Amino acid sequence: MFLEINQLHKSYGREAVLRGLDLSLAGRETLSVLGRSGCGKTTLLKVIAGLETADAGAVRLADRDVTRAEPQTRSAVYLYQEPLLFPHLNVRENIAFGLRLRNEPAGEVRRRVDEMLDDLELASHARKMPTQLSGGQRQRVAFGRAIIIRPALLLLDEPFASLDVEIRGAMQQVFKRLVKRYEIAAIFVTHDLKEALLMGDRIAFMKEGRLHAYESRDAFIRDPDIGVLDEIAFWKGLLGD
Amino acid sequence: MTISGTKSLHGNRNSLGRLGLALFLALAILPILFSLGYALAYSTGLAGLLSDGFTWAYWAKLGQGSEIWASFGLSVYVAGISVLLTISLSLVLALYLRRPLGYGALSYIIYFPLALPATVAAFLVFQLFSGAGYVSRILLQLGMIDAVGQFPPLVNDAYGVGIIIAHVGLGLPFFILLFVEIYNREKLGALGGLARTLGAGRWQMLYRVHVPILLNQCFANIVLFFIAVLGSYEIPLLLGRQNPQMISVLTMRKYAMFDIQQKPEAFLIALLYTAVVVAFVVLAFRKGEVRHES
Amino acid sequence: MSHKAIGLRLRPAAAALLAAVCLFPFVYLFGLSLVSEWSFPAVWPSALSLNLWRRVLGGSSALGSSFLLSLGVSSVVAGLSTVAGFITGKFIAYHPRRSSLLFLAYVPFVMSPVVLGTCLMFLYIKAGLTGNVAGVMVAQTMFAYGFSIVFFSAFWNAEVRALEDLVYTLGGSTLQAYRRVLIPVSRGALLICFFQTFLISWFQYGLTILIGSGKVQTLPVKVYEYIGEANVYYAAIASCLLVLPPALLLWANKRFVFKQV
Repeated sequence: MFLEINQLHKSYGREAVLRGLDLSLAGRETLSVLGRSGCGKTTLLKVIAGLETADAGAVRLADRDVTRAEPQTRSAVYLYQEPLLFPHLNVRENIAFGLRLRNEPAGEVRRRVDEMLDDLELASHARKMPTQLSGGQRQRVAFGRAIIIRPALLLLDEPFASLDVEIRGAMQQVFKRLVKRYEIAAIFVTHDLKEALLMGDRIAFMKEGRLHAYESRDAFIRDPDIGVLDEIAFWKGLLGD
Repeated sequence: MTISGTKSLHGNRNSLGRLGLALFLALAILPILFSLGYALAYSTGLAGLLSDGFTWAYWAKLGQGSEIWASFGLSVYVAGISVLLTISLSLVLALYLRRPLGYGALSYIIYFPLALPATVAAFLVFQLFSGAGYVSRILLQLGMIDAVGQFPPLVNDAYGVGIIIAHVGLGLPFFILLFVEIYNREKLGALGGLARTLGAGRWQMLYRVHVPILLNQCFANIVLFFIAVLGSYEIPLLLGRQNPQMISVLTMRKYAMFDIQQKPEAFLIALLYTAVVVAFVVLAFRKGEVRHES
Repeated sequence: MSHKAIGLRLRPAAAALLAAVCLFPFVYLFGLSLVSEWSFPAVWPSALSLNLWRRVLGGSSALGSSFLLSLGVSSVVAGLSTVAGFITGKFIAYHPRRSSLLFLAYVPFVMSPVVLGTCLMFLYIKAGLTGNVAGVMVAQTMFAYGFSIVFFSAFWNAEVRALEDLVYTLGGSTLQAYRRVLIPVSRGALLICFFQTFLISWFQYGLTILIGSGKVQTLPVKVYEYIGEANVYYAAIASCLLVLPPALLLWANKRFVFKQV
C-alpha cells in the first residue's frame, strides 16, 4: 500500500481525538473521508502531513516510515479549507512557489507554470494578486501550487466548503481531472454525502477517532449510519405526497 | 514511544523559539527579578552602603504617615482625575465629531498631537498656564485680571491642575482616535440603528449601546493610561510641587539625593509601586480581553 | 431652533476648534523658536528672527550634536528591540502558556522607566553601563523590548502560522520559510514596530538622565536643561527638533505613531 497508517492515537489534554485509527491508501487513489465536524479529520490530515505528532502509532508513506519525519521531507501537501495564498505574491508566483524552493531553472519553471495555468484556466489572471480573485479562483491557484510539485500525497481538508454550490461542482471536476492527469494519491475529507461519493475511488467514514472503510460504494450507501438511505426516503416521501 | 506536541519534530523551528525564550529571560525577566530582589534587600537593610543587617525600620516608617503615602495619594488622585476627564471628553468628542473625524481636515489633524512627548507637553503647559504665562497675559490684556498674582495657580499648585491638563492633553487625541476606530470596527452605526428600530431613543442608544461597547473594548487601554499617568515623570517634574511629589519623581529624588539614608526608601517606593502596577495589569488582563491590534 | 439643529450648526465650529487646539502646540512652539524679543506682559512678541535656527543648523550649538546622538541611540534601540520582539513575540504567541508569558512581558512595558530604572542601577553600575551611551541604549532597549513583544504577539496569529506550515508541506526549509514568506509578510508590522520603538526611545528622558548620569545629552535632556536655565527660546527650538521626526513619521504613515494595545 502506498500509505499505511496503523493504530494512530492523538489526544489534546484529556480529549482523545484519534483512537487507534487505521487507514490504507493505494497509489493514485483518492480516498474520501466522510465525517461530521469535530470527529478529528483535520487532526488526522495534519498528522499525516507532519504538522502534528501522534501520541502513538505509525505512518508509512511510499515504503518509508515517516512517523517522526519533518513535514518538508514527506511530500505530502496539506490544503486548508480556506485557500491560503501567499498575500505578497501574484497568481503565477504563488503557483511557482514550490518550484522556486527547489531552485528549478527559470525556463523550466515558466514552462510548467504556464502549463498549469492553462490546465486551471487561469492564464488570463496570472498577474493578479490574491485579493483580486474570487473564492473559486483562489482555490484553483491553491491546487495548482500543490500539484505542480508532484507531491506523493494530497491532503484536502474540506476544500470546497466555503464555495457556492455552482462553483463547487466545477471545482470537483477540476480536482478529479488534475488528480487523474498528474497521478496523485489523495485523501479528500468532507462532511457532504454527495461529495464523498463523487470524489473518492474509495470511501471511508470517520467517527469517534476511528475510520471505517467501505469495500464498495454500495456498502457505503446501504450503511444506515451514513444516512444515504434516509435521504432517499426523504425525497421519495416528498414525491409520494 | 510516546511523544506529544511538535517539539521534537521541528528542530529548526525550535532553535528560534529557544532563542526567543533566551532573549526574554536575559533581557527582561532576569534583570527585573534581580532588581526587585535587590530593591527588597536594600529596603530591609540587607544590602546597600549603609546596610547594617535586616531591619524593618524603613517599612515601619510607612505606618507613621510618611510622605510616601502622600505621594501615592497624589499620584492616584492625578491619575484618576486624568483618566476620568480624558475618557469622558474623548467619548463626547469622538461621538459628536465622528463624521468630521472620519473625513476631511480634522481626520488628519487629530493625529498631530501624537507627535508630542511628555517633555514638550510639560513645557507647553508651563508656558501657557504659569503665572506669567500666555493665558495669564491674555487675561491681563482683556482686563479680566489686574495683576499676575490674580491668575489662579495652575502649575506647581496644590491640586496638580497643570499636571492633569498636560496628561489630558496627551491622552485626548489618542482616545478620540481609539473610540472612532472601535466605533467603525464594531459597526456601532448599524447596532445603534438596530437599537432604534427596537424602540430605543437617541440618548438610550448612546448609553445602552455606544458607550458601554466603546468603554468595554478599550478597557485595557484605559487601565494602561492610568498606569502611565501614575508613574509619569517628566510632567510632574516640571509642573509639580516639592511636596507631595508623584511616585516617579519622589523615587528619583530619594535615590539620587546626597542623603544616603533616603535610598532605602526609594526602593521601598519602587516595590510598592510595582505591586500596584502588577495588580492593575492583572485587572486589565482579567476583565478586558486584552485585544491586540498591530 | 430645535436641539438637533443647534447641534448640527455647532458641529463644524466644534470640529474647527478641536483642529485649532491640535495645531496650536506646533504653531506656538515654532513661533517661540523665532522670537528674539518678547517682554511681559505683551501678547505678541516684539521681534522675530531666524537667528536661533541659523545657529543650530549651522552647527554652532550643542543641539545639533544632541539631535544626532538621539537619532543614533533611538535607531539602535529600535532595531534591537524590534528584532528581539519579533522573535520572542513568536515564541510567546504560539506557546501554550501564552497568557502568563504575555503578562510577564507587560511588566517592562507598563512600568515607569524611572522607578524600574532605580532598581536596575545596581546591575548597570556593576556592568559599567552607567554614564555612557551604551548603558542608555541597553536600558532603553529593555523597555522598548517589552513593547515589541506585546506588539508582535498579536502579529503571530493562526493565519501566519498556517502560511508557515504551508511552506513546510510544500517542501521548504525553515530558512526558506522566513526568507520567502514570513519576512515579506511581516514587513509592514516590522516597520511599524521599528518606528514606534524608535519614538519610545526618542522621547525618553527620565531613564536617560538616570542611567546616563546626566552625561548622555540626548534631545529631551537638552530640553529640560534649557527649561531649567529659563532659556525659553532654546527650549522651544529644542522642542521643535524633538517633535520633528515623529511629525515626519506621522506624515509618512499614521500607523507609525498611533500605538495601541
